Amino acid sequence: MFPLSGLAADAQDPAIRTVVIDPGHGGMETGAKGRFGNLEKDITLAISLKLKALIEKDMGFEVVLTRDRDVDVSIENRSATANNHKAGLFISIHANGAVQRKAAGSETFFLSLNATDEETRRLAYLENNSTDLQSRIDPSSDDDLMMILWDMAQNAYIKQSSRLAELVQNELDAMLGTRNRGIKQAPFRVLTGVACPAVLVEAAFISNPDEEQKLASSGFQTKVAEAIYRGLARYLRANE
Amino acid sequence: MASKRKGKISGPALLLSILGLVLLALVVIFFAGGGGEKVKRFADANLPKPPETAGGPAATRTVTLFFIADGDDLLHKESREIAAGPTEADEAERALTALVQGSEQGLVSPLPPQTRVRQVFIARDGVATVDFSRDVAEGFPYGSSSELAAVYAVVNTLVYNFKPVKKVVLLVEGAERETLGGHVDLSRAFFPDYSLVAR
Repeated sequence: MFPLSGLAADAQDPAIRTVVIDPGHGGMETGAKGRFGNLEKDITLAISLKLKALIEKDMGFEVVLTRDRDVDVSIENRSATANNHKAGLFISIHANGAVQRKAAGSETFFLSLNATDEETRRLAYLENNSTDLQSRIDPSSDDDLMMILWDMAQNAYIKQSSRLAELVQNELDAMLGTRNRGIKQAPFRVLTGVACPAVLVEAAFISNPDEEQKLASSGFQTKVAEAIYRGLARYLRANE
Repeated sequence: MASKRKGKISGPALLLSILGLVLLALVVIFFAGGGGEKVKRFADANLPKPPETAGGPAATRTVTLFFIADGDDLLHKESREIAAGPTEADEAERALTALVQGSEQGLVSPLPPQTRVRQVFIARDGVATVDFSRDVAEGFPYGSSSELAAVYAVVNTLVYNFKPVKKVVLLVEGAERETLGGHVDLSRAFFPDYSLVAR
């Protein structure tokens, strides 16, 4: 049912059946803007569609996009898409924007959480990476607790997310020829509620005129998609 | 007869004009009084505090603001004199207003220039709540980097300068908001991040 071939042929992780790709922004929410008028939302969608095609062709996983056209999607619905499809991996794709025109390069983020002590205590019992989170959140918990736990679901996957970020960033560095800004942690809203390893890729800076033109080109978009694909494949192989 | 007629006419006329005057006075009191009260309430909440010093040198204090620079992706410190007191929340409000207004040394504010600091409230548990006007979030094309810079310039400025402040919550027009521009989660209080600051 899930034929495995190509790079990921030996990936045996039974938990991973579905990869969710999240093209950043969309609709009224354009994201960052380039000097030449390119919009982050269009570039993230183009890269995401290319990545989807690569994964489906060579890995045979089911790939779900949080949007497949230019529409508004709430941040909540993006992580809900991942959790409802029992995603094994979640990749959010963005193009960066800075006030400084010269800012350049690619970077991959995983979540940092400003958790309170109380929240940290509540989460402590979730931090067992071997079991499915769904089965560890007791459905008889009261609604508020359920909300808090799901809202912070990503906390249980920080280690894997960090590893995934590292492998994806290595490939971006190898393939793009842009400045390597490394892996970083940030409290990004779209990652907090995702109950599987999750990263956010900033392919390059749309606010930098040189990189904007790269981002708008199909060739560069393909390279970004291939680099992320290779990073995923390495992650899957390492987790056999 | 003439005087009779005069009296006859002036009687109702006098009554009318007195009535008119009373009415006018009532109208004036109503609007001036009501309007005055409105202005006063507005002043209490939103106008800058009156200068504290009635004679003598103005009390000031030095704060450190966090700006961005053209050459790198870090936050850079800049000292600034602001009026002191009466409360730390007042000073925090002035420090953030100075942060929005921008650098005096060629650095750049990461916040949209139209942004207004509506209020700063510092709670006893060390959480400072900052309420910005909608300009902080709307019509500004944030990328991850510029959004992180905007949030942490605010958070670092408050925690670095004001001892009671340990964490910072950001509001927009008095309400909670998911993010400023689609990236950084505003639902939890922020600790400062000094790893983003140039040495």
